[in-house]
Amino acid sequence: MPRRAIDNQYTPAFFVRGPSPFARLIFFAALSLSLMATDSRLHYLIEIRQGFVALLYPLQILANTPANVYKNTKDYFVTHNSLLSENQRLNTQAVMQSAELQRFKSLETENAHLRNLLDAAQSSAQPAKMGEILHMGRDPFTHKVIVNLGSRNNILEGQAVVDADGVIGQVTKVYPFSSEVTLITDKELAIPVQVERNGLRAIAFGHGKDTRIDLPYLPANVDIRKGDKLVTSGIDGVYPTGLAVAEVINIERNPNSPFASILGKPSAGIENHKQLLLIDLPDPNAMSPRAISKKTKPITPELSEPKADNASR
Amino acid sequence: MQAAKLKSMYLSLFVAFICYLLPWSGVGLLIRPDFVLLVLLYWLLRSPRLCNIGTAWFAGLLIDLASGGLFGQCGLAYAVTAFFAVTYQRRLTLFNIWQQSGYIFILLILNQLTLWMLKLFAGGESPGWSYLLPCVSGILLWQFIMFSRIGIETHADKN
Repeated sequence: MPRRAIDNQYTPAFFVRGPSPFARLIFFAALSLSLMATDSRLHYLIEIRQGFVALLYPLQILANTPANVYKNTKDYFVTHNSLLSENQRLNTQAVMQSAELQRFKSLETENAHLRNLLDAAQSSAQPAKMGEILHMGRDPFTHKVIVNLGSRNNILEGQAVVDADGVIGQVTKVYPFSSEVTLITDKELAIPVQVERNGLRAIAFGHGKDTRIDLPYLPANVDIRKGDKLVTSGIDGVYPTGLAVAEVINIERNPNSPFASILGKPSAGIENHKQLLLIDLPDPNAMSPRAISKKTKPITPELSEPKADNASR
Repeated sequence: MQAAKLKSMYLSLFVAFICYLLPWSGVGLLIRPDFVLLVLLYWLLRSPRLCNIGTAWFAGLLIDLASGGLFGQCGLAYAVTAFFAVTYQRRLTLFNIWQQSGYIFILLILNQLTLWMLKLFAGGESPGWSYLLPCVSGILLWQFIMFSRIGIETHADKN
């Protein structure tokens, strides 16, 4: 600094640069640190963020145009043969599924009848909306996608998102024209599951690095096998019961650890689908108090689950 | 001339932002260079009067909004990077192109590491080596940006 002091006395106006870079850095660093604290702890900035994201929406549309134009021209030049073969495949699928649907209907009436006999609560169907993926999340290290439905379409935070093969994730942020879906492979998302074979309940967490999910907090001697199907247990009141989540692909029992490390492969086509279904939250009157508290932070109630489970075991 | 430069600065930043908003996915997302930061660095070195730490900070905030990340983390990382770019700006303009590229590469890595640290504090996961891929693709893109010489032609035309 003393070296500069002499220079500064004779600095002509031509070289004046305003406040020193260091002063500017301190100012802006303090500003962004306080913004980060406000955003992460106090949740004051949600409305401001929503407004700005709505303003950015036209830019987003502009940025998506080249990809859309490319896709549309590619669709336009699709060959007669591929259309025919796709049509045939879809027809076969429709016939197969309608046969299954007939069985499903009779099972559903039978189930309702049995539930009546047992005086158990009816499991109600939850309506859903069809959405389309606008783009992947901007940060390659969080597993998120942006969907074209937002608060304008009555999308709420915490809604479950599924595709034809299983659960994809949960809506975590809602903007006016779009919403952010956190995939089940994200480390921050937990989902209550059940082993289809024996009804064992557990909590599945995203594995983070690859497209796998993790079943922590299960004892080493747990009855689980390679190839077991994991389905949603429905105890959280968000995901309907019985949706496919994953298939167990790897179990490691380490004698040094009281827990087994279990990896599952998601059954939904997380990386390769464009359309997905956003399932409405269940009727708030029918919700348990535990599920209502979900509104502010979708993950906490699920996180509290495994402790209770372990204690009872 | 100053006004024309200002216009081309905002225009180039806008184009870089649109590049950032393109629907990247898969490998493209992993190696996507930080367009906005590269353009910012170009202008920081070219004319620190027009583009300074404040501009970098606002651009970072815009990125935070678009990415849905924690508000202000990218702003802070850009401000820190811009600080190191501005501090050595006068010396840097005297460097030859390879020395400049080396310095820019260090700045890009610094930016990624700052962001990574902020994300770790916020409870993110540790990403591994592929996290530094955008620096490599960024330094390749930097050659093109230097080659384009935005805002310099106007000066040459005037003479």
